[in-house]
Amino acid sequence: MDLFKLVRRVDLVLALTILALVSYGTLMVYSATRADAGGLLFLRKQVIWVILGFVAMAGAAIFNYNRLRHYTTFIYLFNLALLIAVFFVGYSTLGARRWIPIGPFNFQPSEFAKVFLIIVLAAFLATRRGEVTRAIDLFLAVALVSIPLFLIFLQPDLGTALVIMMILLGMLLVGGIKIRHLLMIIAVGLLICLLVFQFNLLKEYQMKRLMVFLNPNLDPLGAGYNLLQSKIAVGSGQLLGKGLFSGTQTRLQFIPSRHTDFIFAVVGEELGFVGGVVLLILYFIAISRGIRIATTARDMFGALIAAGVVSMWLFQIFVNLGMTIGIMPIAGIPLPFFSYGGSSMMTHLIAAGLLLSVYARRFK
Amino acid sequence: MTRPIERIQLRLVLLSAVALVVFVSLLGRLWFLQVLAGDKYAELAEGNRIRLILVDAPRGIIYDRNGHVLVGNRPSLTVSLDPSLNGDKRGVIERLSKILGVTLREVEEKLQEKTADPLKPRAIKRDVDMQTITYIKEHQPDFPGVTIEVEFAREYPNGGLAAHVLGYLGELSEEEFEKKEKEGYILGDVIGKTGVEKEYESLLRGEKGGRHVEVDATGRVLRVLNSKDPIPGHNLILTIDRDIQLATEMALAEAVQSAHKQRYSKAAAGAAVVMDATNGEILALTSHPTYDPRVFIGGISKEQWLALNDEASHYPLINRATMCSYAPGSTFKPITGIAGLAEGLISPRSVFDCRGRWTGMGEHWAKFCWKRSGHGRIDFDLGVVESCDVVFYEIGYKFYKTGQEGLQKWAREFGLGSLTGVDLPSEARGRVPDKAWKKEWNKDNPRNQIWLPGDTVNLAIGQGDLLVTPLQMANVFATIANGGTLYRPRAAKSLSAGSGKVAHEFDSQVVDRLELSPDILRTLREDLERVVTQGTAKRAFAGFPIPVAGKTGTAEVRGKDDFAWFVCYAPANNPKYVILVMVEQGGHGGSTAAPAARQILSHIYGVPFEVPSGLVDPSR
Repeated sequence: MDLFKLVRRVDLVLALTILALVSYGTLMVYSATRADAGGLLFLRKQVIWVILGFVAMAGAAIFNYNRLRHYTTFIYLFNLALLIAVFFVGYSTLGARRWIPIGPFNFQPSEFAKVFLIIVLAAFLATRRGEVTRAIDLFLAVALVSIPLFLIFLQPDLGTALVIMMILLGMLLVGGIKIRHLLMIIAVGLLICLLVFQFNLLKEYQMKRLMVFLNPNLDPLGAGYNLLQSKIAVGSGQLLGKGLFSGTQTRLQFIPSRHTDFIFAVVGEELGFVGGVVLLILYFIAISRGIRIATTARDMFGALIAAGVVSMWLFQIFVNLGMTIGIMPIAGIPLPFFSYGGSSMMTHLIAAGLLLSVYARRFK
Repeated sequence: MTRPIERIQLRLVLLSAVALVVFVSLLGRLWFLQVLAGDKYAELAEGNRIRLILVDAPRGIIYDRNGHVLVGNRPSLTVSLDPSLNGDKRGVIERLSKILGVTLREVEEKLQEKTADPLKPRAIKRDVDMQTITYIKEHQPDFPGVTIEVEFAREYPNGGLAAHVLGYLGELSEEEFEKKEKEGYILGDVIGKTGVEKEYESLLRGEKGGRHVEVDATGRVLRVLNSKDPIPGHNLILTIDRDIQLATEMALAEAVQSAHKQRYSKAAAGAAVVMDATNGEILALTSHPTYDPRVFIGGISKEQWLALNDEASHYPLINRATMCSYAPGSTFKPITGIAGLAEGLISPRSVFDCRGRWTGMGEHWAKFCWKRSGHGRIDFDLGVVESCDVVFYEIGYKFYKTGQEGLQKWAREFGLGSLTGVDLPSEARGRVPDKAWKKEWNKDNPRNQIWLPGDTVNLAIGQGDLLVTPLQMANVFATIANGGTLYRPRAAKSLSAGSGKVAHEFDSQVVDRLELSPDILRTLREDLERVVTQGTAKRAFAGFPIPVAGKTGTAEVRGKDDFAWFVCYAPANNPKYVILVMVEQGGHGGSTAAPAARQILSHIYGVPFEVPSGLVDPSR
């Protein structure tokens, strides 16, 4: 397929939505960080990543996704190698070893692992032709994910680990697992959660986050601070917001991690309900286009890739926005296309590129 | 068989449903948070951002009637610690405790005290000396979170002079805070605890100023949004005369000493009052022992507080002139005399027979005159002059026989048994005993409920169940001196604003005008003058150039030595000053209290004072 034909078959709605989301997000990162000591440094870095990300997205869109099937083993092992490398050359902050420094940037393999696993899992499930009924297939799918998941768990990066589990669930659902089995997996998952609680396997700060989620007034200056302040920020934005660059919670640094995980608090405060709804609409368009791409895909592989990407976005959006507005516990999950951070930005743009690639090749 | 690609269509519908649920729940929550509850959160955000920093107003200065400063203000340095300090908090607390001489526990308690603003630095020690401040400043890296603030502290240029009138300041207690919160007090404020500092708190305190500032999440002030200057408190001008006050305090202290010399070794406490008979103004008022209000500056230590409230210290914080009530003894006799004359039970020419032992109520109820040998045939006037008990027993018994409570009525007319209304806190009411009171008092003891002849007879000589405060007694004599006007005694003369201009003049207030016949009054005043010239106070006032009229009292208190009283006014012919001196367990009024009154009058009139020597007078 020549490039010219490809360009004509591109999903313009999705591409423009992604562009809008990224622009919106970059503006908010600027608003969140403009008063900081670092000045424009955050904005500059984010812009570099956005540009690199769009190049990667275009590359992924142009590349025929079907050829990825031939490299699944390599992709899988490369992913493992990166995740293992984190433990040796990784850079650790805040008690977690998640980053590999490359020049002035820090590269986060667990973010990219999500895309790699979507490709590998899609290739595996595609060979089952839309039916995952045998126990061995289910076992293999879970096993395939478990090894990288375990490595990510060890970093620890609980947020990303949760995202990967949800990707697995989403892709199994679309890939043909029996609903009965899906419910069993969810039941087992809940049981594991219960055991984790029972034997105190959570770290103290994780336990606190959960307690605080259940009762936000428990520790307003400690563990509950983030949640309380982000709720105040979003709520005080009211219908129209306090105006771009005018959020007091943002400007006076009451919101922690306001350019990363809590970026939506800035949106809510400065642009209000209207700004939040615009963001939700953009995400809704992206998700609907993703599902539509899965529906119209030429083959199972493409459909499953799309399903994986949609599951990833949906879960991340829900948990990130949910924690900012107090309906989900706090977990370190960035907001796709919005949160400051190169690995996250690149990962989601590449994922979008994969969707575009699947869409462009929907006809035989 | 369907193509696998078609098999997944249904599954994708399921995924769409999940997506829809996600979006609807997020949208719903946003609607609730931003549109429905937005106002509440907007308010919370303002509360985050804007902080009020209060600026204390300088407290009003207290002057004496001639413009001498009694209580002033001076800047003092306070060492405070930020309670939210992170890092080496323990070390900072230890170093502070050492250098400030405050125990570790006290520092911890201060940090945990409730205050209006949980992030506000807590005052660890007030009024810290310059050397310590310099040390802290030079070693600032060792004291993170420690700040030094300038506050106003009270200053007493005359030391402990008039301590009981002025009162002291202290930090607002939590109880007081609950009551006073509406008036704009915050925890940590100082407030007048006693004396005029308490009575005129609302005028002295002024109005706090403040600044609304914008702060960031770490509490750093970014800019001032608006500010209001504090309004200084009103200055208070008292009726007290500094010099008379000083003389009064010295005279009282010397009276206690002189009681010791007369072998009344238990004498340790007393009270003295100087009033203006023409308007109720208090020129001097003191209680012995006294205290130094300076120990309260910057907060009193626990040990000092306990020492001031220890029995061995004889409770120096108590103002005995207004807060305690006593049997007045013979100083009450003028009231009995006036009552007897006014009710027509006796006349100035009535003659009594004093044999030293009085059996008017029967042989079993014999009572004695202080002069056991008896005064012989004695008329009413001489009865007052000599303080003959038998004369007053007879009058008391006559009152009992009327079946009326005429004596009590007259005691109350002179303000006994009720508050004088003086502008000093915690005034005692005293007690004028009568039938109803005795019944109520003994309600669990029916046999003691009946009012007996002896009750009235005891009352007639100022004993029994009668209780008066020294101020009430001084006011009785002021009323006799000025011809029957009962004034409300007061310590405040006027108020001035910060500019020095008089803002308000406190007028003299008449409580009551007694219906006293001029004849009766003249009789009594002549008698009281003779007390000083030829009666029980003769020796104490021998050679005093100003005519003085007064009455001695030697009150019996069960289980204690006699309480010495003397009340007088001068000049006798045109009364201006009323002087009262009372020494607990000081022995005889004529020998312990009267000389002190003379000493005070000597000062007032600029007459040299010689201590009358060898003054042991057994009279009452």
